[in-house]
Amino acid sequence: MRSPFAYRPRRGPLQDASPGAAVAYLGAIVVVAFLYLNPLVLLSAGAAATSAGILAGARGAVRAALRMGLSLALLVAVVNALVTSRGETVVARLGHWPLLGRVDVTLEAIVAGASYGLLAAATIVAFAVYSACVDPDRVLRALRPLAGRSALTATLVSRLVPVAAADAARLRDAAALRGPGAAPVGKAPLARRLLAGSLDRAVDVAATLELRGYSLDAPCARSRRDRSRYDRRFYLVAAIVLVTAVAGKLAGADDFQAYPTVEIGFGPATLAVAAVVTLSGLAPLRRGPKRQIQSADGTKRLSQGDKSARRRSRLDRSARRGGVARV
Amino acid sequence: MSELAIRRGAAPALAVEGLSYSYPRGAAQGGDAPKRALEDVSLEVAPGEFVLLAGRSASGKSTLLKAACGLVPHFHGGEIEGEVRVAEIDALAAGPGELAAAVGYLAQDPETQVVSTTVAAEIELPLEMRGDSPADRARAVEEVALALAIPHLLDRAVDTLSGGELQRVALAAALVTRPRLILLDEPTSQLDPVAGDELIWLLRRLNEEWGVAVLLAEHRLERCLAAADRVVAMEAGRIGFDGPAAEFLTWSHLSDAALSTPAARLFSLAGIDPLPVGVRDARQTLRGTGVAHPPHIASRRVRDPRPTESVLKAKNLWVELDRGEELRDVLRGIDLEVRPGERIALMGRNGAGKSTLLRAAAGLHEPVVGKVDVESIALLTQNPGDYLVRERVGDELPGDDGMAALRLVGLEHAVDADPRDLSGGERQRLALAIALAGRMEGEQPPAVVALDEPTRGMDRARKDDLVALIQGLAGGVDLVTHEVTKSTGAAAVVATHDVEFAAAFAERVVLLGEGVVIADGPMEEILSGGWYFATEVARVLDLPGVVTPEQGAAALRGELG
Repeated sequence: MRSPFAYRPRRGPLQDASPGAAVAYLGAIVVVAFLYLNPLVLLSAGAAATSAGILAGARGAVRAALRMGLSLALLVAVVNALVTSRGETVVARLGHWPLLGRVDVTLEAIVAGASYGLLAAATIVAFAVYSACVDPDRVLRALRPLAGRSALTATLVSRLVPVAAADAARLRDAAALRGPGAAPVGKAPLARRLLAGSLDRAVDVAATLELRGYSLDAPCARSRRDRSRYDRRFYLVAAIVLVTAVAGKLAGADDFQAYPTVEIGFGPATLAVAAVVTLSGLAPLRRGPKRQIQSADGTKRLSQGDKSARRRSRLDRSARRGGVARV
Repeated sequence: MSELAIRRGAAPALAVEGLSYSYPRGAAQGGDAPKRALEDVSLEVAPGEFVLLAGRSASGKSTLLKAACGLVPHFHGGEIEGEVRVAEIDALAAGPGELAAAVGYLAQDPETQVVSTTVAAEIELPLEMRGDSPADRARAVEEVALALAIPHLLDRAVDTLSGGELQRVALAAALVTRPRLILLDEPTSQLDPVAGDELIWLLRRLNEEWGVAVLLAEHRLERCLAAADRVVAMEAGRIGFDGPAAEFLTWSHLSDAALSTPAARLFSLAGIDPLPVGVRDARQTLRGTGVAHPPHIASRRVRDPRPTESVLKAKNLWVELDRGEELRDVLRGIDLEVRPGERIALMGRNGAGKSTLLRAAAGLHEPVVGKVDVESIALLTQNPGDYLVRERVGDELPGDDGMAALRLVGLEHAVDADPRDLSGGERQRLALAIALAGRMEGEQPPAVVALDEPTRGMDRARKDDLVALIQGLAGGVDLVTHEVTKSTGAAAVVATHDVEFAAAFAERVVLLGEGVVIADGPMEEILSGGWYFATEVARVLDLPGVVTPEQGAAALRGELG
């Protein structure tokens, strides 16, 4: 079974973009999440990462990351509510608990925990989109001239992670197939076996790298120009998001206070930052090709987008049938 | 020697002189390995030559290949004497990286031979390491992809490829630098007969058109003997034979029958000379002796005395799995009944659903539609090593149930041994005992014993042992005395690509294709009625019901007599 976060080669603006542009774009969203604690801005960062993933075709990765991120957010909110008794709005008095002492759940602690949870969730979604959409081979190729040994380590790891996952699945199956009279296999022996197997695998992969000439002190191959026509778009969006985020921060857009009472700022600066960050999630949107078509009166006009192309196609089909299309 | 002279083929592709080698202490290659993996080996492979490397397991084939590509001693360490030159490059002085331009290497397991995420990046990597320009790399990748018929795979992620596709990608990565020599270590062991034959003839084509010298280590000699110019047979680290394929068959008949091919055994049993190197050769010889069409011997249909109830019953079984790109119905409405004591070979191409069917029967996959009922089943998966997690056999199988399972597979003497010290065959038996333990009734095996691809990397001697084990479990043969018994034991269901192995153990063959049963019948009928899923003897004689050398010899003797 393949991990939903595994990279899948697809065609799309985010996948076609150079690793630098993709990292800058998704990194800008993560930076916003780390700069702000205002739940509205954090929600907008999460929404941006989610829509970016969906537009890039990584629905599975986004779904899995949202499940993971929101579970984590819930956990952080619950734990914070249990261990922090600051805040004035008590929503539940849970009495005296061992180790924790007196537990009063406050609205402020829940909101503060949820805010940190949102930060984690937005970051997880952004990393999931990166993992599913950015070709690790291109990243490693870009890294190699800068840090050869690190790139080698990263290559080994990036290859060994899926191999180890497959080995672990096989070992789990073998453990499940042991007869009831055989010694049961606990997690520790299984982990030891997996580790030993992984070391063998690492040796095999290292041997393959050796055979491919990885150790050669050859002249550094000129990298293919990994730039794409979408690079400018992603760099531009990243720059806009970062500038807006920093400017917003300076202008007080991160207006949020959890204690002693919850105060969430919804001022113009906060709304502007949230709007810009949310809209940045549309960057991977693929534009339809611009076509010059000639209308019936002989004038030329530009048509854009798949929708209009479909519309034309329907009209053409309808015209061939001699009917009238409903548009 | 100049680069031009080497390119034109003046220098040998590989020259080995007096090579002896020992792995470092404690790093011997499995329990079967001798103390010295190679002993005074001398060998030369001419440019453009196709050499087949034969020999039993642990005879030194893999070590010789690793020495030729520089992994031995540079990667594995150990003690080495002698000389190895690849296209005039001293392999003992240069490392595998430097040799990569002159030699390509393809190992048995394609999983560990890919290091990139996408196919195109994987093929391009050696050129990038060499410092080739982007334009040169793009052209070389395109050409090798076209040569190996994989351009459609270039944009795929490597972890979505089948075993056969992955093997081709690994071969492409090994060939993309246009090496003078390509070394292959049992590249067909994980491939179905169709993909295996395709790979061998692809190698022959590359050998003829590109002039690449090929050194191919294989156990299933019948598959590649006809393609080889020359055969080198290894025996306990030494070269036992070096000569043309036809002479090799005579040598193996006299020295090591386990290296003989089914067609050669057929001719030998029938007393026909010379021994054939392939199907075409055998047919020509038969035409020359006037027995091109031996009489058809009607297979005698005896009434099966076994009870008619089923121990395994699959009814309209549908299983859906995530195959990387999307969910796919791997089994599509399978109906199958298995009766007590039946020996069934489950065959079909890679991805046909053989393993999935066994795993569904063992409860590892839930059907989406239909059901599978089984009394009790012990399943041994493709990697017996996955079952071995402790350092003492007795710790894996404690108590009476454990001892009963060890006795059933004939390993009761090894209770204090470390599983890593056992031979490959013994490790497989131990893994089977682990699957059987507690599922037996007294000394009797469970209702169904299932084995998934148990012959990968096995030589014929070990396969014969496995045949005896399966017959013993099914109640045909006593495992200790090897005498034929009347009792009915477990039904043995074995998923295999190995047609000759299936002919040796099975009485019924179920052929799967794309998740459906496409043929189900007596072994002799199924394995003599096709081309790919047919034994070599069946392809030579083309007689319904004649699949083994013994049956074929009886048919030929009838004609000659």
